[in-house]
Amino acid sequence: MKKMSIPIGPQHPLLKEPLSMIIDIEGESVLGGSLRLGYVHRGIEKLAQERTYVQDVHLIERICGICSHVHTTTFCLAVEALLEIEAPPRAQYIRALMCELERVHSHLLWLGVLTKHVGLDTIFMHAWHDREMALDIMETISGGRVLHAANMIGGVRFDLDKENEVMIREVVEKLKTQVGGLLDVIENEPALRARTQGVAPITGDMIRKYCAVGPIARASGIDVDMRRDDPWFPYDQLDFEVITHPDGDAWARTFLRTEETRVSLNLCQHILEELPDGPVSVRAKRRVPEGEVVIRTEAPRGEVFYYLRSDGTDKPARLKVRTPTLSALSMLPEQLAAIQVADIPVVLAGVDLCIACADR
Amino acid sequence: MFEKLIKKAYRWAQKNSLWVIHFNSGGCNGCDIEILDLLTPRYDVERLGIIAEGSPRHADVLLCTGPVTRQTRDGLWQIYSQMPSPKWVVAVGSCSNTGGVFNGSDTVLGGVDKLLPVDLYIPGCPCRPEAVIEGLVKLRERIASGEA
Amino acid sequence: MRPNNLDDLVALIKAKTGADSTIYTGIANEPAVRIPAGKLREVVTAMMDDLDITHLSAITAQQRGEEKDLIELIYHFWQGSGIAVMMSLPVKSPQVDSLIDIIRGADFYEREVAEMFGVQFAGRKETPPLLLPDEWDQGPPFISDEEGDV
Repeated sequence: MKKMSIPIGPQHPLLKEPLSMIIDIEGESVLGGSLRLGYVHRGIEKLAQERTYVQDVHLIERICGICSHVHTTTFCLAVEALLEIEAPPRAQYIRALMCELERVHSHLLWLGVLTKHVGLDTIFMHAWHDREMALDIMETISGGRVLHAANMIGGVRFDLDKENEVMIREVVEKLKTQVGGLLDVIENEPALRARTQGVAPITGDMIRKYCAVGPIARASGIDVDMRRDDPWFPYDQLDFEVITHPDGDAWARTFLRTEETRVSLNLCQHILEELPDGPVSVRAKRRVPEGEVVIRTEAPRGEVFYYLRSDGTDKPARLKVRTPTLSALSMLPEQLAAIQVADIPVVLAGVDLCIACADR
Repeated sequence: MFEKLIKKAYRWAQKNSLWVIHFNSGGCNGCDIEILDLLTPRYDVERLGIIAEGSPRHADVLLCTGPVTRQTRDGLWQIYSQMPSPKWVVAVGSCSNTGGVFNGSDTVLGGVDKLLPVDLYIPGCPCRPEAVIEGLVKLRERIASGEA
Repeated sequence: MRPNNLDDLVALIKAKTGADSTIYTGIANEPAVRIPAGKLREVVTAMMDDLDITHLSAITAQQRGEEKDLIELIYHFWQGSGIAVMMSLPVKSPQVDSLIDIIRGADFYEREVAEMFGVQFAGRKETPPLLLPDEWDQGPPFISDEEGDV
């Protein structure tokens, strides 16, 4: 059979973001592929050096709209470490609450995208409809649905009053029921299983080879989660389950993310129960003393790595950001090499691409 | 007289069936997921006759997000040139209006109007779905009145 | 298995590669050792074989030195806790061995460092640009001379 190369992107109905791929096929089998990144490269690391730390919080939030809060949280933790200050406990709990809500909204977004790609449009509609509830909570407390400007250096920008706490509890409870029902359907739905079971399995060795992180690694049996392994307060005080799955195929990745959504919703309730009183921010100096720091946190897609160096001025000397999708993308050509053409959407969706994160 | 009626009917059909193609020219995804939200039950733009299309050849309106990175410039131009006339370009979000927070970067053009003629600017960072709906409604009025 | 402390790692590096390494405590949250640039592959191989340290989180590159005449590379590893390996290269023609045949995940990181800082990674078949646009012709964007001009 003749070999062909199919270009996908930078604009394609499958892709929400520009990415260029060349997929080599022979008949219905995919032989492999290559990627061209850089369509979303905005030079954020360089821009960060030209702006002050305060301005950089606004910039860093816009590395990625889906996991914006965890990026600013990591950045603020890094600057606070260099300033040798600590955000008050209440602020850290609110940061963690927003991180978990963001994980819920990101996983529901991913769920919608995956099911849309495999043809189960109803689940896409239901998942995104339920996702609106998580966005409602974030909007009520922070003012923004998708980009919240929740973090500032030294704490968070807003406080939760009693009314907010009652509202969040109610909506999270409602979300748990709705999302729980949806997840039960997914975990027992034969059509989705048939499309994803056994597709593009990734072994633990492949994960180690490519230094992949996050749900993709956990779905191949690697037990790693920065919330537990390198916790920032209050994650070291909270009880939560880190889920892994041994199979490593597309179904394992689907199952893992749906279970993680459940865990995150429980964690939201846990955070609210433990929420301490107190102020929500401390004053932070504009000039940051010389120093270097490394912070790792767990975004919805995996380990986010920040290296920050300051030279005593009010602008960073160097900010290095490594996002989880970069490792997942490097694994994509090998993942594609073992599947049929009809499985390409399942594999692409299973990776949970966030090219904006990868390109910065 | 007859011609006027035909034109009115033609514009009525146009405004009530705007098919959009969405292109992300290097944005952070914030505006893109808000645009995708339009298709979901809460905002449901299909009741306005708006459907998201995958091919530029089927689309009337280009919804563009992102500050237009240099790497996406050719892709954006190709999509615009493949759309059949009459066509309209809507710049969604601060980045595609003016470059937004990424202004000053060497890899970014700084707004869709640096490359294409824009018919409608919708501000916001990110742009709310309600704002996109209002913008599209305004575009419909302008199409109906023959201005756009 | 993690080294109990950095002294163990320094001793391991000396034993396996003959290289003298020094402990660097400047990075909060991440203990680091500074090694000679030419010994990178051997040090990383020793860390992988003896200590099972395989996860490379990132390669940070930055211009350092009073006269901005050095490029510092920091390889950030993770094995239960973070550990970094640092080295300095001259800014004029920075060269270091590639790690992609022992850590495949280093591929994208090396490509980014190569295009942003002009570092050459020896042992790679090719080093195409990762993020910069195809038409980029302004040289490595992060390298500036003493006056701060790019």
